[in-house]
Amino acid sequence: MSTLANQALAYVDALHNLARYLTGNETDAEDLVQETYARALRAEHQFAPGTNLKAWLFRILRNTFLSSYRRQRNDPTVGGLDTVAAEPVSAASSDWLLGDVELDRLRKVVADEIEAALMTLSEESRTVILLDLEGLTEVEVADVVGCAVGTVKSRLSRARAALRQKLKDYAR
Amino acid sequence: MSCEEVRLNLLDYQEGRLPLEAQNALRLHLDGCPGCTRAGAVEQELTRLLEHRLPQHPASLALKRRLAARWSQPAAPPSWWHRWRASLTPALAAAAIVLLAAPVAYYERAASRTAREQTAMVAEAVNDHLRLLASPRPLDVESGGLHQVKPWFGGRLDFAPVVAFEGDADFPLKGGSVGYFRDRKAAVFVYARRLHPISLLVFRAEGLAWPTRGTTRINGVDASVASERGFNVIVWRRGELGYALVSDVDAGELTALAGRLTRSPEPKGPQS
Repeated sequence: MSTLANQALAYVDALHNLARYLTGNETDAEDLVQETYARALRAEHQFAPGTNLKAWLFRILRNTFLSSYRRQRNDPTVGGLDTVAAEPVSAASSDWLLGDVELDRLRKVVADEIEAALMTLSEESRTVILLDLEGLTEVEVADVVGCAVGTVKSRLSRARAALRQKLKDYAR
Repeated sequence: MSCEEVRLNLLDYQEGRLPLEAQNALRLHLDGCPGCTRAGAVEQELTRLLEHRLPQHPASLALKRRLAARWSQPAAPPSWWHRWRASLTPALAAAAIVLLAAPVAYYERAASRTAREQTAMVAEAVNDHLRLLASPRPLDVESGGLHQVKPWFGGRLDFAPVVAFEGDADFPLKGGSVGYFRDRKAAVFVYARRLHPISLLVFRAEGLAWPTRGTTRINGVDASVASERGFNVIVWRRGELGYALVSDVDAGELTALAGRLTRSPEPKGPQS
């Protein structure tokens, strides 16, 4: 087994986790991960040593998902950004109370609810949230999702706002 | 800094990803803005939820086996040995038994002893890391940068730890302390990856069984990567110093930090 292959296999759990949240089921997630590794093996010569292998694999996985899986499945939950309006920014006293109420609600959310809420978000929102959780830098996330580095911050902020909005419904 | 800018940067602030100047400006704003402080608390709670309660879906063992089989390199073409082995095998086998039996037995005993000692090193690194986490005061010196942490060890150790990586946005240096690695003193540098502490133990290498097989090359250094009780451990030797890197972050991230740590020139030896 080549060194790169050996190193790449160390990321199978992280790749499978993202695949599972992209496809929504185990069978498709496994197919997506296998196809990702097959493509990565064919493109091994394109990997630039010294760059983040994990981010490179995530990019292949997402591109594979977008190019083949999504087209086949015609998944309606896969699309652009969630349309969540930016939260009004105010230092008024009601903002205090809103923060407390939201905080209390969030503390009551259980695992199934947060998974369900995440799955209602668009593919792009799910991806940026999960890549951020994986510890990728903004530059790496930008490379994976194919956008400008400066855009990642606002996309992540909108995605998390959308997730908080969904979680409010679960925690009432 | 306006409330709008603060809200957009809250997550980066909490993860320590902002430049120092922006980090300070945001902290100053939060001190005087209850609304943004509350928004920060909500962001933090959401991060906690995602990190601790969001179900993780690791790959099944079956998938891992399938991938390992598929990624293995294709077999080499048949060689002259394959064509002649039927006739040569019996004679060579007899000779091989005589020639190899004794050395193999010796080698296996030595390898087994080395493997046991290496396992003990990994266990020791994890124990040291756990001791640090459980300590009420894990850092003897808080980091104001490597140039503050390294001099602090002066007079506390019988060698000078050679560490050139000052930390960065991905792996900030949090501080250091003095610990023990097996029977010797160790300099402990504490880095972080998001909310996960990472311990780097630096100690005199002599007298320890260093891995020679199954190692991974990191910047030209032979390092051994292992797991124990949910922690990943990377150990390597450079010159007369030994290094053990341990954390619960995944092996890839720990390898990335090891890459930064081994990028510096090889130390000439511990300077007493």
